[in-house]
Amino acid sequence: MLELLQQSLFSGLLVGSVYALVALGIALTFGAMKIINLAHGELVLLAAYMAYVIESRTGWNPYAAIPLAFAVTGIVSVVIYLLIERIREHRELNSLILTFAIGIILTNAILLVFASDVRSTGSPFLQDAVSFGSVYAMKGEITAFIISLAVMAGLWWWLKHSWYGRAVRAVSSNRDAAKLMGIDPRRVELAAFIVAGILASVAGVALYTMSVVQPALGPGLTIKAFIVTVLAGVGSIPGVFCAALLLGVTEAMTVTLASSALQELVGMVLFLLVLFFMPNGLFGARTRRG
Amino acid sequence: MLEVRQLRAGYGAINVLWDVSLGFPQGELTAIVGPNGAGKTTLFRALMGLIPHQGEIRLDGRALKAKTWDLLEAGLVMVPEGRMVFKDMSVEENLSLGAYPRRCRNARARNLERVYDLFPRLRERHRQLAGSLSGGEAQMVAMGRGMMSEPRILLIDEPSLGLAPVIVKEVFSIIRRLKSEGVTIALIEQNTHIALSVADHVHLMRSGKLLMSQKADKVDLERLHDLYLARETGAASF
Repeated sequence: MLELLQQSLFSGLLVGSVYALVALGIALTFGAMKIINLAHGELVLLAAYMAYVIESRTGWNPYAAIPLAFAVTGIVSVVIYLLIERIREHRELNSLILTFAIGIILTNAILLVFASDVRSTGSPFLQDAVSFGSVYAMKGEITAFIISLAVMAGLWWWLKHSWYGRAVRAVSSNRDAAKLMGIDPRRVELAAFIVAGILASVAGVALYTMSVVQPALGPGLTIKAFIVTVLAGVGSIPGVFCAALLLGVTEAMTVTLASSALQELVGMVLFLLVLFFMPNGLFGARTRRG
Repeated sequence: MLEVRQLRAGYGAINVLWDVSLGFPQGELTAIVGPNGAGKTTLFRALMGLIPHQGEIRLDGRALKAKTWDLLEAGLVMVPEGRMVFKDMSVEENLSLGAYPRRCRNARARNLERVYDLFPRLRERHRQLAGSLSGGEAQMVAMGRGMMSEPRILLIDEPSLGLAPVIVKEVFSIIRRLKSEGVTIALIEQNTHIALSVADHVHLMRSGKLLMSQKADKVDLERLHDLYLARETGAASF
């Protein structure tokens, strides 16, 4: 039993790192524009299918699909931005309807092109198991974890040290003050959507290498990312990372101890508990004041 | 010299400024005083391109572009009312954002040192979140951030707001110092006395109009106060 728990803890941590990438994409565009991109899960899914395309057509490692995946998610992400940007009234609310609709369109486009079959990687390398003491993982999961960490470190550096990244944080923090620094908020918003596209492309390819994908996965990914964002409470990368790992572990434990039918439910319960008892999120209490 | 002619601006259907014309002479400090709701902040917001306006705004005889980021490249910088610091960022990150305009990015490290020399308190607290600072320290961050943008013309809106008198003194000694360095300054202040202590020119604003414009050393204090408090019949607009 103990070994089973260790194993689900480990697997949960690995999958949680991908949730973190998805959540950071949503958090980034939310920070810059105060809108929630409900089609972000479909962007991730689109990237996962690009990995499938590359693997099934060329036999290469799915990670070779990242440039193609980024080209596709980047373009779709920018199109979403341009559509949202045209909303003149009640942008926060209307963007929800708009991005929800884009998500449905993308899901059906994927269904049309790739059919409803379940897809997963056939790479012998990625499916190979490695052991760490008493726990096991696929090499695909370990690779996804490492790449997710690297991308998060890159994102952290970009937000902290590049002028564009600083501008994104400034706009997220105080839009009017950011304008007074000479920042053009619309360019910053566009940059945020492009970077969200990069995050989605890596997350999608990683997801494909460690799990199975099917066309209806999008909304579930968006919801998980949303739960993680609310759990974290603040837009800080370590906060989102910890919350994502927590969700991953909780889900894995639920599958082990109860039933895989409850996997989605437990995330929602976690979400409600946090909203009831810590409305500022697990890491948000200190910085949100006044 | 920054010049404003027949400026009208407001918020949506509500007009606030009614044909305001004034100049901000090079290297001098121009104070704009007046009661709450006079339109002082609206004037600054229009100057910085934060709200649309009608009328002319010229810098050295040339019409200025309308976008805020173009104005920053031209050297117009504003220290806003209520500080508007980036609360969830550190003091140093706040100051660094002041160096965002392209013309001052390369000088960031040098300007940072200069700001820290002027405000030693900020150097001590450079890693602290700006949201956890006292009002006086936040005002120093806002002013330091403005200096990081290497202003040719610095617009300072109500720097004394909500500060203890001893801090206000400190803030104004910095304003004096900036002036002595040749920065053209436009200052909004409700406290007439402290405004007059640093100003070269004083304008009184009420109900979106300039009611009085004088040299600070020749100002008719009694008339200024009467107009400020709308005790003169001519000034009562409603």
